[in-house]
Amino acid sequence: MEAFVREKSKSTPWIKLDPGENHLEIRGESYPENSANFYAPMMEWLENYLENLSDESVRVDIELIYFNSSSSKVFMNFFDMLEDCAGKGVDVVVNWFYHPDNDTALECGEEFQEDMEKVTFNLVQTDGG
Amino acid sequence: MMDEIQYFYEKLKKEGVIFSFSGPVSQSLLEGIGATLRQKMSLEETSTGVIQKVFSIFVELMQNVINYSAERGSAGAEEPDLSFGVLIIGRRGDHFYIQCGNYITDSQKGPLREQLTRLQSMDKDELKKYYKEQRRKEAAEGSKGAGLGFIEMARRATYPIEFDILQNGNGKDFFVVNILI
Repeated sequence: MEAFVREKSKSTPWIKLDPGENHLEIRGESYPENSANFYAPMMEWLENYLENLSDESVRVDIELIYFNSSSSKVFMNFFDMLEDCAGKGVDVVVNWFYHPDNDTALECGEEFQEDMEKVTFNLVQTDGG
Repeated sequence: MMDEIQYFYEKLKKEGVIFSFSGPVSQSLLEGIGATLRQKMSLEETSTGVIQKVFSIFVELMQNVINYSAERGSAGAEEPDLSFGVLIIGRRGDHFYIQCGNYITDSQKGPLREQLTRLQSMDKDELKKYYKEQRRKEAAEGSKGAGLGFIEMARRATYPIEFDILQNGNGKDFFVVNILI
C-alpha cells in the first residue's frame, strides 16, 4: 500500500498517511468549499488501511490551527474509524497538538477526546513561540 | 456618482468597518479576504483567540452564501455557479461585528427562522451538546455542508446571533444576520 500525501493549500492541510511507519499526520488548516468531497479520497484510503491492520501500533499526529464546521464532521468520522479499529485490538495513539493561545483548537480537541474510549487521545501543547 | 464614493468610504470608516463586500462570493475570494483580515487584526494586536473567532464566523458566513444564496448566476457549464451576497466586518468599541445578507428561497425561510430562534435560546453548554448531536446526524438531503455552520457561529459569538428576514418589493426574502464577538 502506498502512502497518501497531499500538499497543503490555503484552505486544506498537509496530509501524510504512511502505512510503512504506521504514522498518520495532518497539519495545517481546513476550510475547503466542500469538505466531504475534498476528504473522500483520504477516507477511502484510511478505510482500506485500517481494515488490514491487526496487532500493529498506529500513531496519529494532528495539528489543526483552524477547521470549519463541515471539516469537523469529517474529522469526527475519521476518529470514529480509528475508535473502531482500536476496538479490534489495534493500539491507536492520537496526539492532538494545539498552540497555547489557541483556545478553540484545545476545545475542539477535548470534544473529540470525550468520544474516544479505546483510542489513546493526548492533548499536546506546542511551544508558545 | 463619483463624489459618492468618498462619502461612502468615509461613512464606512466612521462606523468602524474593516471590510465590506457586495457581489459574487467564491472560495478563492474567501481565502484572500480571510488572510488579509487576519493580518489586519494581528497588526492591531487583537488576541489570537478573538482573531480565531472572527475568522471562524467569517468563513462559515461566506460559505453559507456560496452554498445557499438564492441569487446565483451561471458562469458556464464547466464553472461552478456564482453566489451573491453582502458582508460587512467592523469594530465597535471592544467588539467585532460581522453582518451578512443574501436572498433566500421560500423553502429556506421556515427552517432558517426555526433553527436560529432555537439557537438564540441556548447557553454555551446547550450549544455544545446540540453541536455534538447534530454532528452525528446524517446531513440533510440537498445540504451542501454539514448543517453545523450556525451552531458553530453561535458557539464562537459573544452574544446570541441576531437575524431578520426582510420582505421587499420584489417578493423575494432577504436574510440578514448580525454577530457580535
